[in-house]
Amino acid sequence: MLDTVGSSVASSAAWCGDVSLFAARSVREAFRPPYEVRETLRQLHELGVRSVPLIAVAGLAIGVVLSMHTRASLERFGAEAMIPAGLALALVKETGPLTAGLLLSGRIGAGIGAELGAMKVTEQIDALEATAVDSFKYLVVTRMVACVIALPILTTVMNAAGIVGGYLAEATLVQTSPQLYFARAFSLMDFTDLIPATLKTAVFGFIIAIVSSYLGLHTTQGTEGVGRASTRSVVMASVVLIVVNVVLVRLIFFVFPQAG
Amino acid sequence: MSEAAVRFEGVTKSFGGRRVLDEVSFEIPRATAFCLLGRSGTGKSVTLRHIIGLMQPDSGKVFVEDEDVSTLDSRALSRVRQGMGFLFQHAALFDSLTVGENVAFPLRRHRPNLSDTDVRRTARDKLAQVGLAADYDKMPGDLSGGMRKRAGLARAMALSPSLLLVDEPSAGLDPITAAEIDQLLVDLKKEEGTTLVVVTHNIPSARAIGDELALLAEGKIVARGTPAALDRSPDPLVRAFMRAEGSG
Repeated sequence: MLDTVGSSVASSAAWCGDVSLFAARSVREAFRPPYEVRETLRQLHELGVRSVPLIAVAGLAIGVVLSMHTRASLERFGAEAMIPAGLALALVKETGPLTAGLLLSGRIGAGIGAELGAMKVTEQIDALEATAVDSFKYLVVTRMVACVIALPILTTVMNAAGIVGGYLAEATLVQTSPQLYFARAFSLMDFTDLIPATLKTAVFGFIIAIVSSYLGLHTTQGTEGVGRASTRSVVMASVVLIVVNVVLVRLIFFVFPQAG
Repeated sequence: MSEAAVRFEGVTKSFGGRRVLDEVSFEIPRATAFCLLGRSGTGKSVTLRHIIGLMQPDSGKVFVEDEDVSTLDSRALSRVRQGMGFLFQHAALFDSLTVGENVAFPLRRHRPNLSDTDVRRTARDKLAQVGLAADYDKMPGDLSGGMRKRAGLARAMALSPSLLLVDEPSAGLDPITAAEIDQLLVDLKKEEGTTLVVVTHNIPSARAIGDELALLAEGKIVARGTPAALDRSPDPLVRAFMRAEGSG
């Protein structure tokens, strides 16, 4: 029993060490020429632009649901006027970033894990190397940079869609003008609410890209391994993201006490 | 500069305690075709991978054009690789690119002065050489195994390499297509002076392509010579291989 636990802890520690070295290498390589600008832009389109519909629809739905819950709570205190501000703060500070991160760890993480895994088992990565291309830079660094750029933008899209969803939910229940709703939504918000919470999703993007690339590039056992890499990419990226979020929130409160 | 395009000096490689290459040494002269024969799992593909630097020896040295590829940094290795082409056993075409863009890929990476029109024209020419001129815009998944192999060969030839490494050129192909690929490789050597290193099980193919054949067994090259010389070998393993006309 103790042996089993011990070996599990040791292998988990080794895995964390490997992924950390992999992450450090990706950062180092990102600053070394040649820069794979064309491939990075292609990845931004594949991972970022193509995620917009998912994020926008999810944001809209979350906004509607949050609005309904917020109304149910604030009505008891006669504080309906606070609904837009409460919803916007909840979305911008935590719900939007975390939900966007988890949704994208599903969409992007599974995609990267499966794509790189399939490339590994069909020797396409060796073929890249054989054509004198640095496969790590071409496959990992480009995806990492694309995710770091895309996540904050997609989170902003989710926040915006959520606030619009909240307005639509309110508009179906009570007469409210969009001008008044949006003015109230942003009335209690300042940059310390918006910027740190949005920028922390760049870290989420980094985690998703690194964990899924690592698992994809370490795929073994053919197509079965590809499926496993894809699933593990989503699970591991989501778990790491949730844990790191706790640390980041604590850090944001430390650096921006007024954000609390 | 030596006459050898490739030189192995005492190369040893093991996997999980199993010694696949055991102090292997040989030279391949420039503009010749060298066919490496051997049973499955004897280290033929491992040998190719050492030449292009996809694997490093546990001990020994691998020279390509007098440069020890096992010790080069990534930039120097990239420069040496630009003079090589590699046809993988299952072609290893990039799934996300069309057949034409697969062939154009090395040109776009390493011939930045070529215009897009020139890149496309060169890629079409290479595809025409392997009989796939009409398939530029198809995706790799739409091709048969033989067509994929030929497209892989066109990609390997894209930069007109001086050294072409070919892993099982006729595996999984019908005899006519296999013979066409063999002839293409022979033409490449004759017309462009390309050095060929071919791994194969197919003895007729090896006879058609190879100036020299070598048999790898238990980590060592146990026989080497022209096809005619190996035909006369008294070694039972060599004789068994050379008589296996229908293999592949």
